[in-house]
Amino acid sequence: MLRITGGKVYDPANGINGEVRDICIADGKVVANVEGGRTIDANGMIVFPGGVDIHTHVAGAALNFARALTPENQRVAAKFLHTKETRMGIGGQTPTTFATGYLYAGMGYTTVVEAAVPVLSAKHTHEELRDTPIVDKACCLLMGNNELVMDLLEVGEYEKAKHIVAWLISAAKTYGIKAVNPGGVAAWKFGKDAKQIHSPIDGYNKVNPGMIIANLAKICDELGLPHPMHLHCNNLGVPGNVSTTLETMKLLEGNRAHMAHLQFHAYGGDDWHTMRSESVQLAEYFNTHPNLTCDAGAVLFGNAVTITADGPWQHLLYQLTGRKWGNLDVENETGCGIVPYTYKGSNLVNAVQWAVGLELLLLINDPWRIFLTTDHPNGACFWRYPEIIHLLMHADIRRERVRALPEAALSRIYLADLDREYTLYEIAIITSAGPARALGMKQKGHLGVGADADIAIYNQNPDGELMFRYPRYVLKGGEVAVEEGEIRSVKDGHEFVCQPSYDAGIEDYLKPVFQQQYTMSFENYPVDAERVHGMQIAECSYQKTT
Amino acid sequence: MGGKVSCTLGEVKNRADFILYWGGNPAECHPRHFTKYTIMQKGKFLPEGRKGRTMVLVDIRETMSVKAADIFLQVRPGKDFEVVTALRALVKGNRVDTALVEETGLKLEQLQDLVDRMKRCKFGVIFFGMGLSMTRGKHMNSAAVLTLAAEMNAFTKFVAMPMRGHGNVAGADMVLRWTTGYPFGVNLCRGFPRFNPGEFSTVDLLVRGDIDAAFVLGADPGATMPQPGIDTLARVPTIVLDPKVTHTSKLARVHITTSVTGISSPGTAYRMDEVPLPLRPVLKSPYPSDEEVVRRIIAAVDKKSAWLPKPATMASGVM
Repeated sequence: MLRITGGKVYDPANGINGEVRDICIADGKVVANVEGGRTIDANGMIVFPGGVDIHTHVAGAALNFARALTPENQRVAAKFLHTKETRMGIGGQTPTTFATGYLYAGMGYTTVVEAAVPVLSAKHTHEELRDTPIVDKACCLLMGNNELVMDLLEVGEYEKAKHIVAWLISAAKTYGIKAVNPGGVAAWKFGKDAKQIHSPIDGYNKVNPGMIIANLAKICDELGLPHPMHLHCNNLGVPGNVSTTLETMKLLEGNRAHMAHLQFHAYGGDDWHTMRSESVQLAEYFNTHPNLTCDAGAVLFGNAVTITADGPWQHLLYQLTGRKWGNLDVENETGCGIVPYTYKGSNLVNAVQWAVGLELLLLINDPWRIFLTTDHPNGACFWRYPEIIHLLMHADIRRERVRALPEAALSRIYLADLDREYTLYEIAIITSAGPARALGMKQKGHLGVGADADIAIYNQNPDGELMFRYPRYVLKGGEVAVEEGEIRSVKDGHEFVCQPSYDAGIEDYLKPVFQQQYTMSFENYPVDAERVHGMQIAECSYQKTT
Repeated sequence: MGGKVSCTLGEVKNRADFILYWGGNPAECHPRHFTKYTIMQKGKFLPEGRKGRTMVLVDIRETMSVKAADIFLQVRPGKDFEVVTALRALVKGNRVDTALVEETGLKLEQLQDLVDRMKRCKFGVIFFGMGLSMTRGKHMNSAAVLTLAAEMNAFTKFVAMPMRGHGNVAGADMVLRWTTGYPFGVNLCRGFPRFNPGEFSTVDLLVRGDIDAAFVLGADPGATMPQPGIDTLARVPTIVLDPKVTHTSKLARVHITTSVTGISSPGTAYRMDEVPLPLRPVLKSPYPSDEEVVRRIIAAVDKKSAWLPKPATMASGVM
């Protein structure tokens, strides 16, 4: 039992905006009242629901590939010593699993979504998540280039495709689905890409990216998944890609969708020399279409490692940068590319990218529909979120930073014209309440009675960066996990999975196709439930309101 | 710079119309490779199976694998790096000195033909074995082959993969990466991971005699290490966990017999393409699993009062 008293509470899901009130905790949940137990005096502090990261890459074959590919990053990264409470590890661009748990919790984040999991290596992802302490976790399954599904769409077998998707989600023990460069990664298997969302994909007569997108969005809604399709659009990072993004959004009218790392999809211009921000155009459309949510995918200057299932894009980035390139195509399902990257303030393209991330966060007027992410570790590391929060809260500091950009960048961005400054209430929405709602996690992102007692308590400080980087206390499941920068109690978090229903007969179709196209036994393909540590099954109870 | 451009084995089965084995003898060392993943299979985009694929073998001698190859290129020992470098130049259309190529035991026309075939294919793959990665040039050879595969993607789809073996070596590599950030050669003496192959690799530590105890799990260094390394293992307290009597267990102070993973105890094994496979026991064993023994050792060590550094602080400023 525990009581937090005297702190200013920011709980947007329950409309509480900085009121001083007590939060009581028993058995890991927020309750109405407790007698006895520890009291945390939070005078002069602010109380937030624990952060929820809706899109990050912290575990799995791709990230583990990146770790091996970039030992030079690990060498200069923060070290975590082996102690009685903590396992040793390394921070940096691609933190080790234990360090990931400590770094997220140390920043006040208590739930994270690993955004890209192939079915074939889902076992591996779950093993890594088991070794990621403190935080709760969920996974999105890569589905936008799954050939089993695409082959069925080619012959107009929508219902069968839907059952396959449901079977795969259940088999891989994931929470939702993600589509990455739909069709483009499948085409990459023979060295091609899918640039036009209405043109057939290489190797298909009918299936085009738009068809995959529209069908997967519909499937997610019909299966009642708590989180909509998580979409990484075609033409990521390419100048002029805003037209693809807008066309894609139009296809999604009538269904829910989550647009991942929107910053990377909001560019105008014809080439690298004329690239410009199209955040205004994109935000205008987005603001009037409440079926969509998005995360920022903001960029900060400095070193990053780009990791994505978008194989063809990574080949281009390798050619552009001349740096190391990792590629791993996953049979029949997806791909993966890795290229270390440095965002430079002096580089025109990078300057535009930096501005676009912030512009989207400022121009999309409903904080319940845009969430703070950097597409870690692509745009910047997750442990740099406080730097972005600080910029969102201070227009003058943004303008000062804009002045340091190359002259040529100034006419291509809108950032200096934007006066909006985020309030603490809005920060609580974009870091916690909003993503929890978009994920359909009713027990997360708020501090009402019945919520999981995942709570971040910060010393109030005009310097937002300092305030949000070093929480005074972090509670996970009602226990003090972090206190004044030190890890106190290390408990394992849960993993949330969905088990949508499917026609059991689908296995009769799936098995022979699988044995023809894959290289393992069908029986070895699904992940056994006992291999998912702390598994909790979430209900598939979403219903479309018309 | 190169990197590593690869795929899972199912991609090879479904798509690879050009398969190059370099410095390996899969017919004897990976006997299921041809039949299960590469040349013999009918793939989704290769309905003709073997007929639709070209297989090239590069090695220093005629092995059992030659019979399976369409083209065999015999390289002079120690000249692999030169051959790869010449290929990289030819791929880019640069001129290559005939005399330099002939020092490798091959002719320029043979290399040009190889490059033409590589560029013509729809999906090419290079599998490289220890005949490349552990001979003169070592990791430089691996880096050169990986770079060749990466650069080929300017022309067509191309990937490369090491022919890994020795039990679950890929699995050990994967676990080390997510726990320490590094794939091998990790030193934890300072309470956090450090990486320096050549300094912290097992063979270097053993040969230098830098260790004062050894714990050997699922390996037999007593059979493969250089003699000074083996001498170190015999000198210090060495503990071996192994189902069988091995060269190492014979010189160890302690040998704990364990059950065979995958036969009598469950677990996960990683294929050479880093795809995990669940292992399910089919027999019962009177012996404990490796995992159980290690857990019991950890529990016993936990009871001892240990030296511990100061608790880690999060507030270090630089992450």
